[in-house]
Amino acid sequence: MELSLKNISVALSGEEILDSVSLTVDDGAFISLLGASGCGKSTLLKTIAGIIAPSKGSVFLNGVCADHLPPHKRGTVIVFQDLRLFPHMTVAENIAFPMKMRGAAREEYVRTTTELLEKVQLQGFERRRVREMSGGQLQRVALARALAANPNVLLLDEPFSSLDENLRQDMRQLVQRLQKDYKITTILVTHDRQEALSMSDKIALMMDGRILQYDTPENIYDTSVSRTVADFFESAPYIEGVVRDGIFKCEIAEFVVDKPDGIYQAVLRSGAIYIDEKGPIRDFYVSEIQYRGEDYKITLKEESSNLQLETYISSPCQFNVGDMVCIGLNVSRVLLFSSN
Amino acid sequence: MRPYLLLAPLILLGILFLLGVGNALIQSLGYIPAFGMTDLTLEYYKQVFSNPTLIASVKVSLVIAVVSSVLAAIFGVLLCAALVMNGYVRDRIVQAIKIPILIPHTIVALFMIMFLSQNGLLARILFHMGLITAQDGFPMLLYDTNHIGIILAYLWKEIPFVAYFVLALMTSINSTLGEAAENLGASGIRSFFHITLPLCMPAVNKALLIIFAFSFGAYELPFLLGATIPKALPVQAYVEYIHPDLRHRAYAMAMNGVMLLITLGISGMYYLLSRKTERMNGEQRG
Ligand SMILES: Nc1ncnc2c1ncn2[C@@H]1O[C@H](COP(=O)(O)OP(=O)(O)O)[C@@H](O)[C@H]1O
Ligand SMILES: [Mg+2]
Repeated sequence: MELSLKNISVALSGEEILDSVSLTVDDGAFISLLGASGCGKSTLLKTIAGIIAPSKGSVFLNGVCADHLPPHKRGTVIVFQDLRLFPHMTVAENIAFPMKMRGAAREEYVRTTTELLEKVQLQGFERRRVREMSGGQLQRVALARALAANPNVLLLDEPFSSLDENLRQDMRQLVQRLQKDYKITTILVTHDRQEALSMSDKIALMMDGRILQYDTPENIYDTSVSRTVADFFESAPYIEGVVRDGIFKCEIAEFVVDKPDGIYQAVLRSGAIYIDEKGPIRDFYVSEIQYRGEDYKITLKEESSNLQLETYISSPCQFNVGDMVCIGLNVSRVLLFSSN
Repeated sequence: MRPYLLLAPLILLGILFLLGVGNALIQSLGYIPAFGMTDLTLEYYKQVFSNPTLIASVKVSLVIAVVSSVLAAIFGVLLCAALVMNGYVRDRIVQAIKIPILIPHTIVALFMIMFLSQNGLLARILFHMGLITAQDGFPMLLYDTNHIGIILAYLWKEIPFVAYFVLALMTSINSTLGEAAENLGASGIRSFFHITLPLCMPAVNKALLIIFAFSFGAYELPFLLGATIPKALPVQAYVEYIHPDLRHRAYAMAMNGVMLLITLGISGMYYLLSRKTERMNGEQRG
């Protein structure tokens, strides 16, 4: 089901939490709502689900305004950050709950519960009590229970943040597989940029109750609309420079760009530079080498200024701290933002 | 040493209390040397359960305790649910429901007499509205074997008590698990009966036990509002205690013994319930 938010504003206890949020999620799409803790992600999910009433704006489901639908009729199901499994019920009873609530026959919900437990790889756990399960298992029960509600839109509130790394990877795969199987329109709330970039059709980057950019992972990363957005994905150094007649000039380099004249900041991410004997940028030395398993992170400093760049090279590393190096520029990956 | 020193007042009070209880128990077994009674016997307990007057007293107290505590639990939960659902949790209304909890039982008894006796306010209002034509057209609510006056007085005090006792837990469950249930398709009412209420039951039961124990053993309301015959157990015990024949004190003490046993049983249940609540809260956090 297509979900559309139009100018949603929310105030809680007199404080503005969301400010005119608009967003459309296509039917069956998987998007991430990415933002730092406290920026209003959970509030937005609760607003979509009708738990919080917006002070302005509307929620549309398949183009129909849902403002007057009470939470239990919206079908916008949240997997809460704290899971909220019912402690007085078994695993099977938890999963059957939404089906019972919509009046499913006993044999139907028993069969579906078994199926769903299989889907989340918890066969045979029907009669377990919630307190007898591990964190990762509980996460999967919560997911199965949400699916049992036949969601129009599935809202996942930081579902992986409480898991350790291995489990997290498994859960991500499981969620993606189920989302594809059921073709459910899904919003994943996360503060993990890698997670957002790797899992989503689109990413909505949120800050202080606003959506700064909503785009595909490639676009939002490579053509961020502002330095704030670019910095959120990779905080990198920048150099001020000037564009005149289609040429950008700064202290260490100059290259052709397709921008109007003016003062710009060039953001030099690790992917925009590389160490190269014949590179045009000189006077940098290796100030730090950090081994990371799959590669090395190299920190480069300019002798005469405080400018500090970072790049990654694969093993083996032929440099030592203190070596002078030349740097090449991957012009297409340099982000330019107008300074005014 | 210091912790024990700080505990000293408590220990002292505890000792005094236990001495009193022990003394009463010994007397209930017929051992009161001051009156020349030195044989230990269960005779007085047997009497409590075989003498018609005393049996009637036990019954009266049980009826009052059961009806007041069950009704207070039911209506208290409803009141609490109404407060929670309407978001009055931090409201003046919550302050208002504390008032009946604070007012002493004796005062409540006076209210009841003012409002509900056959020449009370309510009867007068009905009379002036022409709904009743004489004093005895108004039903006998006080001093009657239906115990309605006593039960109403307890309800007036204990319904707010239950609501207040359960409020914090219900608020927190409603805003987490109740919210989740609605999100999964349960209407507000079904979410309440399937999720919020069952999870609040340990607290409700605790409140119910407190009220039961209190209304079973309390003296003021049955004394001020109760029927002449049969009397509630604590009132009857008092009658036996001040009986001109001092040897009747053993009966009084046996009745106290019965009340003590029942109260102890309830304390035991309360303890078990508390442990259960703790376990469940632990789970929710875990
Ligand atoms: N009931 C509330 N009343 C007032 N402020 C709230 C309430 N709930 C959340 N907030 C505030 O709203 C902001 C966004 O919260 P939340 O949506 O939970 O953020 P996120 O999920 O992105 O971490 C936070 O600053 C939080 O303190
Ligand atoms: Mg959150």
